[in-house]
Parts: sequence; structure tokens; C-alpha cells
Amino acid sequence: MKRRTRSILTGTLAIIASVIVFLVPFTFILMTASKTRQESAALQFSWPEQFALFENIVEVIQTRDFMLITAFINSTVLTVASVTLMVLFSAMVGWVLQRRQSRWNPAINLMVLAGLIIPPAVVPTIWVLQGLELFGTLPGLILIEVTFGLSFSVLMFRAFIAAIPRELDEAATIDGAGPIRLFFQVAFPLLRSVIVTVIVVQAVFVFNDFQNPLYFLPGDENATVQLTLYNFQSQFDTQWNLLFTNILLITIPPLVMYIFFQRQIVAGMTSGAVKG
Amino acid sequence: MNAFKKRSKLMAALVTGAAISLTIAGCSTGGATTDGKVELSLLVDNTDANIATVEALAEAFTAQNPDIEIDVQTRPGGEEGDNLIKTRLATGEMTDLFWYNSGSLMQALNPDQTLLNIADEPFMDTVTSTFIDGVSTPNGVYAVPAGTGMGGGILYNEAIYAELGLEVPVTWDEFMDNNEAISNAGYDAVIQTYTDAWTSQLFVLGDFYNVLAEEPNWADDYTANKVNYADDDVAIRGFERLQEVYEAGYLNEDFASSTLDDGLRMLAQGEGAHYPMLSFAVSTIVELYPDQADDIGFFAQPGDGPSNGLTTWLANGIYAPADTEHPDEVKSFMAFIATVEACDVQSDAVGATGPYFIEGCVLPDDVPNATADLLPYFETEGGTAAALEFLSPVKGPSLPQITVEVGSGIRSAAEGASLYDQDVTKQAQQLGLEGW
Repeated sequence: MKRRTRSILTGTLAIIASVIVFLVPFTFILMTASKTRQESAALQFSWPEQFALFENIVEVIQTRDFMLITAFINSTVLTVASVTLMVLFSAMVGWVLQRRQSRWNPAINLMVLAGLIIPPAVVPTIWVLQGLELFGTLPGLILIEVTFGLSFSVLMFRAFIAAIPRELDEAATIDGAGPIRLFFQVAFPLLRSVIVTVIVVQAVFVFNDFQNPLYFLPGDENATVQLTLYNFQSQFDTQWNLLFTNILLITIPPLVMYIFFQRQIVAGMTSGAVKG
Repeated sequence: MNAFKKRSKLMAALVTGAAISLTIAGCSTGGATTDGKVELSLLVDNTDANIATVEALAEAFTAQNPDIEIDVQTRPGGEEGDNLIKTRLATGEMTDLFWYNSGSLMQALNPDQTLLNIADEPFMDTVTSTFIDGVSTPNGVYAVPAGTGMGGGILYNEAIYAELGLEVPVTWDEFMDNNEAISNAGYDAVIQTYTDAWTSQLFVLGDFYNVLAEEPNWADDYTANKVNYADDDVAIRGFERLQEVYEAGYLNEDFASSTLDDGLRMLAQGEGAHYPMLSFAVSTIVELYPDQADDIGFFAQPGDGPSNGLTTWLANGIYAPADTEHPDEVKSFMAFIATVEACDVQSDAVGATGPYFIEGCVLPDDVPNATADLLPYFETEGGTAAALEFLSPVKGPSLPQITVEVGSGIRSAAEGASLYDQDVTKQAQQLGLEGW
């Protein structure tokens, strides 16, 4: 009985804590987004005197020739394409690295680690992209995001694959599966939980990325959602109401995604954590 | 075993194919010219007023030159923007035209190699020499002025002055006496907002008129490393003024956590009396607090006397990269900016918060109160001096942090000044100046 009251107590505390940590900032965003410019300049946690959320949303969407709409399209393409490529490539690299021992492995591992450790330099990267005629194009930026995310994903996959028993591969090989079929039909489905983890982590990273689109994808028609924040915030004056409306609008898609895929995400994260 | 190899080859081919198709998709975008028309791209920082200025100029220009269209693009301001500009210049990816600061920030772009030299163009004749000095190197001139100049001084609340019967101070002692009276009446005498660290530099940067008044060659000597802040009794006064207002307890209580927006609100709503600031902030006050805007006045930062004058900031410039594909069209746009007509277009679009740098341009009659206060300084002979950053390329990147420390009592004025001297040494060495 005593134990039960204690668990109810800790549960309540956890709920209160998460309300404070998540809902309070969100309320602040919502309230500021509903204010007029003058009122929002005070940045107070207060109920708006004039409710202007709708006007703000319209203004934010119309700013700079409907830049937000373009940005949403760009960000979606960028996130989906780069996360897909990342998952595909890093799963294959992780599989080969884990399963096939060769004298190249130490060198490859070193390169993977180097990708995590060495910070990317902007100007030489642009030179490479210019050489490939990919600079300032969405495919170029996709390749950059894939490259920067690959190391982390490879490490995740390799650690997870170590936990898949080799007997499975052997059984499949005996049944006549070649290496491609072995990977895509036997191993890949087993990686589901770590795939979900990688998708969640990298999708958030790519969607939220600011620096790379800023430098590698110049031009208003190429904007991503994070860059639209700078329409309303500048060095000397900031329109807080529109800035927060913009934040609200670009927070919604990931939020909706989370609500829909909540079960898979949580399952993927926890199973990844235990086995990895 | 054979089938096994075949399949992996097939897979490899698929992957390569995917990679190539990405590359090809990449090539199809881009290209600026359409059916005889030329489209120039123009990069401007994301300050509202600057975007509005550029868009108005672009529209007026295209009305006169239907063959040239201007595509306005925006970038972040501040340090992020500086990095972006340098990166794009270094990689040859700059827009055809761009808006950037004049003075030392422009010197840091390595202008002789990266920017289009317009020294010999006829349209530069109408640009005032003050501005040309701020956008030239010994080898060339690189920009036409866009927007107006600014003054660095003290915005003050005239209602509080009227209530307490105070007069606009012309010496530092009078200023401190006023502060005493204001403080005793229960107002915050001096507003400081250190969350926006750059706002802390005004007492130091805005004091430069007073430095030049006593030592006219200071800027050149500074570039040659003959003088510095720590060992110069006049120059160090800027840091000392910051320390004095802090030690006298004249600052608003929450100065460490306030922002520029807070500062302007406190000033407009009469919670504080003085706010050391650049005069461009007047436009934000007019927009946010239209009812109180008439109560806000402006005076130059008082020195130790006897002369009293204003430290000014030049207008920003419109530059073009040296490797632009359309040099003739770029120059015709610059020629348009250097006309009286362009000034009027800008005044109509955003109002004026300071003087123009094109000969013959006049300000509209309905400028805000604080902007009107600026004009007498410009009309007086010797009433203004350009800020140090327009006279010398030497400017250390850490000044905002140092002035925050001095202004919050963490460091003394003397320590702050010598720390800043060390900071500029690195910058000067990077620029390869003689004597450092």
C-alpha cells in the first residue's frame, strides 16, 4: 500500500515537471504569437489584450512573397531525402563493417570517427560543391546533410547489428539468400527499432539545421523553415509577435508527426537503448 | 557464387545511377537572364527599414529601366551576416549587389581584391567626400551610400527634463548633475541594456568627437599604433564614463538582463531619462510608441568641454563584387542611387533618421523630434566627427564584451581599456598594418 502511494506521488511529480518543462514554453509561444507588435515587445507572460493570432499568421505566411510556403516545401524535401539516404547508406556500411572483418576496417572506423570529431569547414566545402556544380542546389545540400549525419548513424547501426545473432545470416545463406537479399530481406527488417531512432534523431537535426542551409543554399527561393525566422528577427529590431507566430507554425509539422508516430518512436528508442 | 557477384554489381550500378541523377538535377537550376532582361540580385540584411529602402529603390529603378529587374534577398545581420558576406565573396557566389556597412567592417572584406572599384565613375561626383572616405582604400572606392547617416549620443526623455526643469547638458559634469537630480526624483537616470551587448559600447564609441576635439590626429596615430586607449588620458575617458555612471548607481536595476526593446520602452514610457544609443532607434520608438515619440529628444554625448559635438556614423553602402556578371547594369543602379531622386524615394519609403550623403538631398519636413535634434550639429561647422571605425580600420571584435564588464563593475576602466588594446592588436596584425 505504501509503495503504491509512493509510485502515484512520483508519477504526479513527473507529470507536473513535464508540464512545466514543455507546456509553459509552448503557452508562452502561443500567447506572444497572439499579441500585437507593441504588446509583444515587452515579452511578458501574460494574456494578450488584443487577440491578433489570425492576423499574425496571415502576415507571417505572406511575408516576402510567401517565403514560408517555399520554405516548408524545401525543408520537407530536404529532410525526407537526406534522412532516407542516411538510413540506407549507414545501415549498409554498418552491416558490412560489423559482419565482414577485413584489414580495411580500422581505417574505415577511423574515417567514421573523424567524421564525428573534425568540424566541417565552410569555404573548402563550397569549393568541392562548385567543382561538382552542386553549389546552391537542393541536391547539394542534401548530400551535405547526409555526409554530416552519416558518422553518427553508422555507429548506431554497427552497435545494433552486433546484437543480431550470426545464426540468422547463416540460416538465410543456407536457404540460398545472396548477400543483397540477406541484407534487405533478413537483416533490414530486424533493424527497425534502430532505424526509427536514427530517423527521429536525424530528422530533427536536419529540419532544425540553420547553419548549413544559410551557407550552402543561398537565395530566397531556396530558404528552409529555420531561415524564415530571420525575416522577423534582426540585429536592431525584432517583431516578437511575428517571430513567435513563425515559431508556432514551424513547430506544428514535427509535433503532428510525433503525435502520429508516437508509439513507434518510443518503442524504437527504448529497444534501441536496451540492446545497443 | 557468380550470381552473387552479378547482384552486387547491379546494386552498385543502381547506387551510382542515383548519385548521378542527383548531380544532373543540380545543374538545371540557376541562370539569371530571361528574354533580354537582366535580373540583378541584391542582398540586404534583414532589418525592416533596410529591406523597405532597398525595395523602394529597386521599384523606382525598374520603373525607369524596364530591362533591369532587381531581386531583393535577405541575410541575417551581425556577426553571422559578416561571416556570410565573407564566405560568399571568397567563393565567388556573391549576389550582383549587396548592402553592407561602411568603414572598418568594409575594410575587413579585403575590398581591393573582392569588390568592384567605382572610383572613376561619373556618378560618384555627387557623393559627399565624408562618405567616400569611409568606403575607400588607397586603391579604390567601392560603394554608393544607401539610407541615412546616424548620430551616436544620448536619447533623452524631454518630459522628465521639463518636469524637473533641467537643461540639455553640454559637458560631462552637467550631465552627471542632471543624472543626480533625475535619480533623486525616482527615475532611472541612465538606461543600459547589456543583454544586447553591442548597446554597451555607446559611451566609448560616442565619445570619439571629444577625443578628436582635443587630439585631432588621434585616428591616424591609432592606426599607426602610436596611441592607444589605456595610456591616453583623453581616449580612456569613454571607458571611465561607463564606470562612473555604474558606480554612481544611476543605472536601471535590471541593466544586465535588459534588451534594446526594454531600453526603448523604459525611455518612451518615462521610466528612465537617458539612453546612450544610435539615432536609428528613433524609428523603432516612432513605430512602437507613436504617442510618446514627441517626448524623445537627442543630444550628443557631452565631453569635458569646451567644445560639444556629435560623433556620427556614415550611411551603409551598396557594393558589388569584383566578379559580377553584369557590371554595366550594376553601375547604372548605383548611378540611380546617387541621385536626389533616390533620396526622396527613400524618405517616402521609410522616413529619414539622419542626413543623406548625396549632394543636394534634403530631409522631409516631418522628421521625428529626435532626428530634428540631430540636424543642428550637422549644420554647425565642426559640429560633427565621424566615429573611429570610419577613420581607422582598427576595431577589435571584443569591445561589446569588454564594455559590458566595465559597465557592470566587473572590470575597472583602466583594465578594460588595456584589454581592448590587446584585442585590437590581433585585428591590426591580421590586417597587416604597419607598426603593430
